[in-house]
Amino acid sequence: MRKIILFGFAFLFVFSSCNKMLEVDSVRTVGEKNMWNTLEDSRGALMGVYALTRSALIDNNAYWIYGDVRSGDFASPVRQDLNAVINNSLNATFPTVEALTDWTRWYAAINAANLYIEHIPEIEEKDLRYTPSSMRLDIAQARALRAFAYFYMVRIWGDVPFIIASHDGEFKKQGREDKDKILAWAEKELNEAAKDLPYTYSDGDPQQLGNYYNENLARWSGALFRKTSAWGILAHIAAWQGDYAGVSKYSKLLMDNYGKSRIDYVGVDELTKPNGFFDGKKFSHILAFNSDYGHQDGSSTGHIEELTLAEPVVNKKTPDIYMVKDSILNIFNESDDQRFGLDTIGNPRNTAYFTNYNGRYPIFSKIKVIQGGNRDPNFRYFTSACVFTRLEDIVLLRAEALAALGEIQGAKDALNIVRLRRGLKVYDVLINGDLINAIFQERRRELMGEGQRWYDLVRYNKIKGTNSRFTTLIKDGGIYWPISTKILNENNLLTQNPYWE
Amino acid sequence: MRYLLLTLSFFVGTSLMCFAENVTNLDKKERGSFQYQDSTKSGTSKSKSKTASKEVKDTLKIRAYQSPKDLSVLPAVSLQQYIKGRFAGVDVQEPSGEPGTLQNMFIRGSAVPLLNKKALYNAQPLVILDGIPLITEHPFAFDIQQYQDNRIGTATNLFSSIDMDNIASVEVLANVEAIARYGPQAVNGVIVLKTIAADTVKRITFSTYFGIAPRPNVTTINGNYENQFRQRFYDTYTTNGRYSNNEVYPVYLSDSLSNRYFGASNWNDLYYRNALVYSVNASITGGNDRANFRFSLGNMQNQGVADETALNRYSTRFNINMRPIKWLQFSAMVNANRVERDRNRNLRDRYQQVNYFPDLSSPLSPDKEVYAKYLSQYDNGFDDNKTNIFNGYANIGIDLGAVKFNSNLSVDYNEGYRDIFYPRSLMQNTSYASNYYGFNQRFLFSNSATFRKRVNKKDNLFLELGQSFQWDTYKYNNAFAYKGSSDFIKINLLVSDPNRGDYLLPRAFPKELVFRYLDRTRSNLVSGFFNGSYSFNDKYTFSTVLRLDGSSNAQPTSRWFFSPTFSADWNVKKDLLTKIDEISSLNFKIGVGRIGRLNSYDNYSQGPQYMSNVGYTGNLTVPGYNAFAVLTRPYNFGWVGYGIPWSYSDQLNTQIAVGLFKNRLNVDATFYTKTEKSQLVAVPGGSEYGYNEFIKDGMSINNKGVDVNVSGQVIKGENLTWTSSISFNLNRNRLLALPDNLQELEIENRLLKVGEPVDSYWLLQNKGIYTADADVPVVNGVARTYKGITLKAGDPNWSDLNNDNKIDNNDKVLQGHALPIMVGGFDNSFQYKSWSFNFNFYYNIGRDIINENMANRFDFINREGQSNIGSVKEITYWEKTGDYNKYPLYNPWSTVLPYRTDQDLFLEDGSFVKLRTISLGYDLTKILKDKVKVRRMYVYTTVNNLFKITKYTGKDPELVNYDGYDSGYGQPIPKTFTLGIKLEL
Repeated sequence: MRKIILFGFAFLFVFSSCNKMLEVDSVRTVGEKNMWNTLEDSRGALMGVYALTRSALIDNNAYWIYGDVRSGDFASPVRQDLNAVINNSLNATFPTVEALTDWTRWYAAINAANLYIEHIPEIEEKDLRYTPSSMRLDIAQARALRAFAYFYMVRIWGDVPFIIASHDGEFKKQGREDKDKILAWAEKELNEAAKDLPYTYSDGDPQQLGNYYNENLARWSGALFRKTSAWGILAHIAAWQGDYAGVSKYSKLLMDNYGKSRIDYVGVDELTKPNGFFDGKKFSHILAFNSDYGHQDGSSTGHIEELTLAEPVVNKKTPDIYMVKDSILNIFNESDDQRFGLDTIGNPRNTAYFTNYNGRYPIFSKIKVIQGGNRDPNFRYFTSACVFTRLEDIVLLRAEALAALGEIQGAKDALNIVRLRRGLKVYDVLINGDLINAIFQERRRELMGEGQRWYDLVRYNKIKGTNSRFTTLIKDGGIYWPISTKILNENNLLTQNPYWE
Repeated sequence: MRYLLLTLSFFVGTSLMCFAENVTNLDKKERGSFQYQDSTKSGTSKSKSKTASKEVKDTLKIRAYQSPKDLSVLPAVSLQQYIKGRFAGVDVQEPSGEPGTLQNMFIRGSAVPLLNKKALYNAQPLVILDGIPLITEHPFAFDIQQYQDNRIGTATNLFSSIDMDNIASVEVLANVEAIARYGPQAVNGVIVLKTIAADTVKRITFSTYFGIAPRPNVTTINGNYENQFRQRFYDTYTTNGRYSNNEVYPVYLSDSLSNRYFGASNWNDLYYRNALVYSVNASITGGNDRANFRFSLGNMQNQGVADETALNRYSTRFNINMRPIKWLQFSAMVNANRVERDRNRNLRDRYQQVNYFPDLSSPLSPDKEVYAKYLSQYDNGFDDNKTNIFNGYANIGIDLGAVKFNSNLSVDYNEGYRDIFYPRSLMQNTSYASNYYGFNQRFLFSNSATFRKRVNKKDNLFLELGQSFQWDTYKYNNAFAYKGSSDFIKINLLVSDPNRGDYLLPRAFPKELVFRYLDRTRSNLVSGFFNGSYSFNDKYTFSTVLRLDGSSNAQPTSRWFFSPTFSADWNVKKDLLTKIDEISSLNFKIGVGRIGRLNSYDNYSQGPQYMSNVGYTGNLTVPGYNAFAVLTRPYNFGWVGYGIPWSYSDQLNTQIAVGLFKNRLNVDATFYTKTEKSQLVAVPGGSEYGYNEFIKDGMSINNKGVDVNVSGQVIKGENLTWTSSISFNLNRNRLLALPDNLQELEIENRLLKVGEPVDSYWLLQNKGIYTADADVPVVNGVARTYKGITLKAGDPNWSDLNNDNKIDNNDKVLQGHALPIMVGGFDNSFQYKSWSFNFNFYYNIGRDIINENMANRFDFINREGQSNIGSVKEITYWEKTGDYNKYPLYNPWSTVLPYRTDQDLFLEDGSFVKLRTISLGYDLTKILKDKVKVRRMYVYTTVNNLFKITKYTGKDPELVNYDGYDSGYGQPIPKTFTLGIKLEL
């Protein structure tokens, strides 16, 4: 009997120590209690918002399919899904097209920004290294990124649900909010963020002293949201709303201050060489999301090169999209153009924008950042940045605004800034035709492959109203994308865009 | 001193109660003499070895296991192959005949909807080897994989390490009272393997077989055939019978003078082969009452008939029993195996591994010589897959008469290495090297105390108290690199001089193109249980298992889970029918209980959490931004909130077993119903908060059915006996509830609907083709649309079930079953003098397959010339299967994707009957006994997979993915002929 009692005790003893054994801290995921404590947590969370924004932009090459492919400037020889986009059959059931109707990734970036804004004061309280001034700066970035995300979504879907709090765990369903209200909010947000944002990071800016998160100027260069970035987005928001006074105001701010952010114009050579403007992160990226080779952020997908490049630039027989020769000639109709122009006997004078012009598929090779900018055709690992706006874009936007406002000389001056830098002569109405047309033509050439063309077309047709098909499209909301049926199924407060019903 | 020693044995903890196994060992002693299991009788001795807990069920579960004597003659590689068709209630999927690849088992249906690969892992039964619950791979690696066809690493079937020559018994436990003992890991059922025990008799055994699997015959095609196939579409749907100017006709099909694609299609000479298989195992036992052992060595090689695949296994096993003092018994076992696998050379698998798609505009040539040249490129590289598997235990049993203590420490560890080098010539001048190392490790420490007493001379009381502690760790390191500087440096060398600035940076591969990922997860399980039974006069037995389990993967607020099980057993024969001779036995039994279900991911225990999870389609593994690691909510994984309870399974089974005519005819039927409750499911939602899905509890699934086993001795003569048995399982599953009282849930192309089966396909109903635009029904001036796209001539006529003239998901119907309604075997054994003859059928009834392979062939327009997974064409593209004429000629350019797989056009009946094995053996013992000193000698021959009967038009109704889609990737299951011998000295 004694034995049995003894063992009975032994039993109980061993068993009582096991609650501790069940406390296993995960090494692959961070629980809420371990998250908002230190400076490093703040950095990880803020960079997370950037990374999620990048993912939203480039997932399935969305940025370029929305911006360039949909415009119809390109043709697709093998991809039926891209052909569907070109033909505006946006409810086609190809996986890529369906993925492009899904806004979840944008809301991930927004949710991360919301969480950041809500939780960051905890770190300021807990970690003495994290100063209130850093916090102001970081919050401004999160707000700016969030406003940018809403602007981008409004351009794609029109009215979207407007959520600026994390609603953690509750996740109330919300219907769609009026797009103009959202844009008005975004403008206000960006203006407020712009006040707190510096011109540069780790560069002695009075609003950001010292090395930002202990990293130097080169590390940050154009990777983060700056004051100038905010103005760039504000100019775009105003343009999208047709508020050309606003465009004029914000572009003026940028034009007067770009040097403070180390932003400058880019030459054709720099723009188009493999290790040039689009490689890595550059100050002149007013707003861009980089995929730096050195940071191992490259990929064979999520870059314009995946769509456009093929033989002889990379080892791939047929490009996903290419520009038909007639279109090229139509667009690059001035022979001095350094970007692309033909000589008198019809041979290309340079191949800055196009390679293999005389082949079956002229390859649009303006952007070709392979493995950090080498010319290796064998491994399609692309590291170009997704550049949302740069100085040439802002200048042309200004030209457009001034032209729309009737300040013709100012518009011409702005247009000529770009024209002269591309080897063209100053704008001449007799040669180049209507000023508005010339400005949009210039945008088409300059920003080709930078995800702008579709929105340009919308603005152009809003100004001109000459293309009845497009005008109807604008009127009926056909310029927006349908909303994914998956999302509509989940949330009964949402309605499909009427055009796609 | 005695007490001290005893106590020590507990606390030092080198021991455990290892559930059934050790109790069994102690029980032997109870029968009077201390004797270990006799290996010659091991196949049958199990039913005699009684434990109180077994007493209850053994009576009814007579046929639940088979003699491995029968199983070990099969040229099978994995446990799954051995048990396929042998046990009622077990469904085994064999999606490929490639040796050593993963196979799935489902006991009494799947308790989990098989929505993805992760779910598949959660539906697998527990395998217990000598009391060690074997650890399997963790599905967490899928988190970083864009494609889920293969898990990274060796992807070797860990159950291919089991050497059947060492196994004494295989037992499948499905009844709740039987699995309750094994706790929440056993919720999907248990397969109990017991190895042949050590023995006091000095005995040497030797067994071996050799065999050949002849090359399969296939119909090959070339570019000409494919051209003709496509021409019909061009004739019908293009104005001039050819492609438009913007369209590209594939170059490889354009040049009909090229021998590469339009010449002989004899690639199959190199792809298929006559494969050899062999196995050898030798063992020795010996010792005395105080100490004895068994040691065995084995090697098995099994070649696949396709693509030079093969598996090579070395196994060794040692076990020892010691009894230094009368009341103390010590036993230990070590089992070590090494499995090497030569994998297939599918392009798909290679590109998925490399995560890169080169230009795919020219597929492999069907010409043998060109193909040979391509294959020779592999010689410059390697793809080594090695798995080491160790398991072992140490056990101390203390026998104090009525009270016994047992203490056991078990270890199960397996590690996999995959080292790859693909030379430049294989992928457009880009070489690839990869090193994977991963391990799964389990420590289990358990103790039990039992008390047995005979009451009133007639009644038996048995009590058991047990506890166990289990520590699991899963880990992998995965590194890969692109573009090595030379094809001669095949590994990722690092700079080794610590004084250099580039110390530990890659030397042969550019540092920007070297990637590393690692992941690790741990989970612990603490359990305590009480097990008691009381039997009255051997007529009525009542027993119970009460468990308390704590899991570190459960949320802190609900760490512990209590699960009770009760059963009652009524021996009707003894009670009421003692006088009726025709009925030799009749038992009735009922079991009811609840078993917990573990979470496989530690994420679920955390509640809201943060991860580094910011990738995008095609590049899931983005580590950060601007070279800073990021922390964000796991938007891709899904939202995990607080308050997630344990999921559990409520089960009820009633069993009736009748033996008639002196047990010549036995009928055993078990009716069961299993209801899973509080199951986690990813509910699509939260898009406006960035989440793809919310992980929610509250899903409930019911599996209901019957296991039947009828066996009879048809002939029982002096010289000839014929035993025939048929066994099958009928199972129906149904979804009972979804979280938040949802009535249905759309998850990608599946629909989970309350009241409907969870393994059904969700399909549009195809009613033919619109041959002219005018045929498309028009309502109020609007022509019928598919998801907003107006249907036209050449589009499918899909039924408009809700009569809104719009075809969409509301017009889909749940139909068919990915898992069979009925699965079973039919076995016949003949014994004539020293001859024995056996044949075995395996069948699946009421199962449907989506012939995706066929759908892809018709969808050629979207699968040509792109650099993505859809355009990958294997060498088997040049093999013809199925009947093309069955399908309408739709307009392949249509944006409604007429050849989509979510329609009943590609749904086929996948039922089949297969003759799995025929074996013929002759026992030479009698002839030899006088001349040679031999205990037993048996020679045999087997024929495997001789034929099948099926309506399915694809390759083989078994070569289908877990979700019922036939992707065409399964390698044929070979017909194997073997010759073997078993010798005992």
